[in-house]
Amino acid sequence: MMKKHIYFALFVLLVSGCAKDAAYDDGAVGKSGSITRFAVFQHYMYVLNQNEIQTYDIQDKAHPALIHRLPTDYGLETITIYEGTVFVGSTTALYLLDISTPAEPKILSKSDRVADIGFTGCDPVAVKGNYAYSTIKIIENACGFISAESALVVYDVTDKTDPNVVGTYPLSMPNGLGYQGNYLFVCDEGTDQLEVFDISDPTAVKTTSYGYAITDPFDLIVDGQRLIVSSKTDFLILDISDVAQIRKVGQITK
Amino acid sequence: MPYQPGNKAIIKLIIPLFLIGFIFAGCDKAEREFYDGMGKKPVYASAEELRDIKNEAPQPIIQSGTIYLSDTLLFILERHKGIHVFNIADSLNTVNLTFLKIPAISDFTISGTVLYADSWKDLVVIDISKLFQITEAGRVTNVISPPLFPPDYEGAFECVDESKGGVVGWDEVYLESAKCRTF
Repeated sequence: MMKKHIYFALFVLLVSGCAKDAAYDDGAVGKSGSITRFAVFQHYMYVLNQNEIQTYDIQDKAHPALIHRLPTDYGLETITIYEGTVFVGSTTALYLLDISTPAEPKILSKSDRVADIGFTGCDPVAVKGNYAYSTIKIIENACGFISAESALVVYDVTDKTDPNVVGTYPLSMPNGLGYQGNYLFVCDEGTDQLEVFDISDPTAVKTTSYGYAITDPFDLIVDGQRLIVSSKTDFLILDISDVAQIRKVGQITK
Repeated sequence: MPYQPGNKAIIKLIIPLFLIGFIFAGCDKAEREFYDGMGKKPVYASAEELRDIKNEAPQPIIQSGTIYLSDTLLFILERHKGIHVFNIADSLNTVNLTFLKIPAISDFTISGTVLYADSWKDLVVIDISKLFQITEAGRVTNVISPPLFPPDYEGAFECVDESKGGVVGWDEVYLESAKCRTF
């Protein structure tokens, strides 16, 4: 009985320690939207530079040192780091990088998306557990014909050396994305709508009737029960505590 | 034409017009060697102007880019120009606090009280511990490769002449004998 109590006390200590760390991280490190080419990890910073991933040592914060350059294909657009793995979206592929040695990122896999020429894309990535969610915006091909192949793509990234597409869901002109709990929020510039997907089963993502109308939504940040959504010339703050009834609680004070 | 990695970049890079007919032989568009007509012309900042990093009065967002939330401060990129900073502690009363002028910026991130941004070909380190009195704390020169074409644009443009400085915008003007184009 005594033993059990001690275990319980230890457990509480462990849990409270974790919670504290998480809260500290959120406050001090901050949160980026999903569309950015810069990411900080420990005392390193990764910068996407067209066709290379640069690693800077920022131990001495004011004097970054460019210590590593990893060559890739052209078209690198977005970077996000999830539980020690770097996810890079490019116009043609999703890269997963191992940063167990943060000074020397290594490519674990590169998932080519389309074996076609001349499309442009915008492909931020959000990762939850063993699944990565990426939006692909295909605006036009080289000859100027509009393509309608924009989509939300779901990858199973359990094997980081071999991600598999497990779902594709059509969208109009998607931009940034992010999630809270089992709901994925996607900015869709084509429908002027914040779209909400139910991702409780990542292999069978469901569209929902929830959402919020926003002109030209661009990117978003989940901030607890608040969702900050940027649009071309504005930003909105939405209350997402009840996704079935998303409501605006603030915007730019003009 | 089979797909090759990096094709899109080749297309986006500056292609002299006389090559276009050759590269895009499969397309319907016929192209001339030089272009006269409306198009984009780079706006340059001199080397000295590029280093003019400072606070400015709050400004409206023209076209937002990267967003970053640091505690209750929301940072919003204005491409080529700088970063808007809002206090969003109170959702009902957000406050446009200041504008961080960072010429030729295209992206940024923040670590604590330090902001890292690209500025034309440099990576700049900006101390934001005093948000209304920002200072350049460091700079790594010549590490970034900025795009040498107008963003989100399809058409003819005046090729970038890097000897004139860094590109901080694109004007819509009447071009004569333009040699560059994006698709």
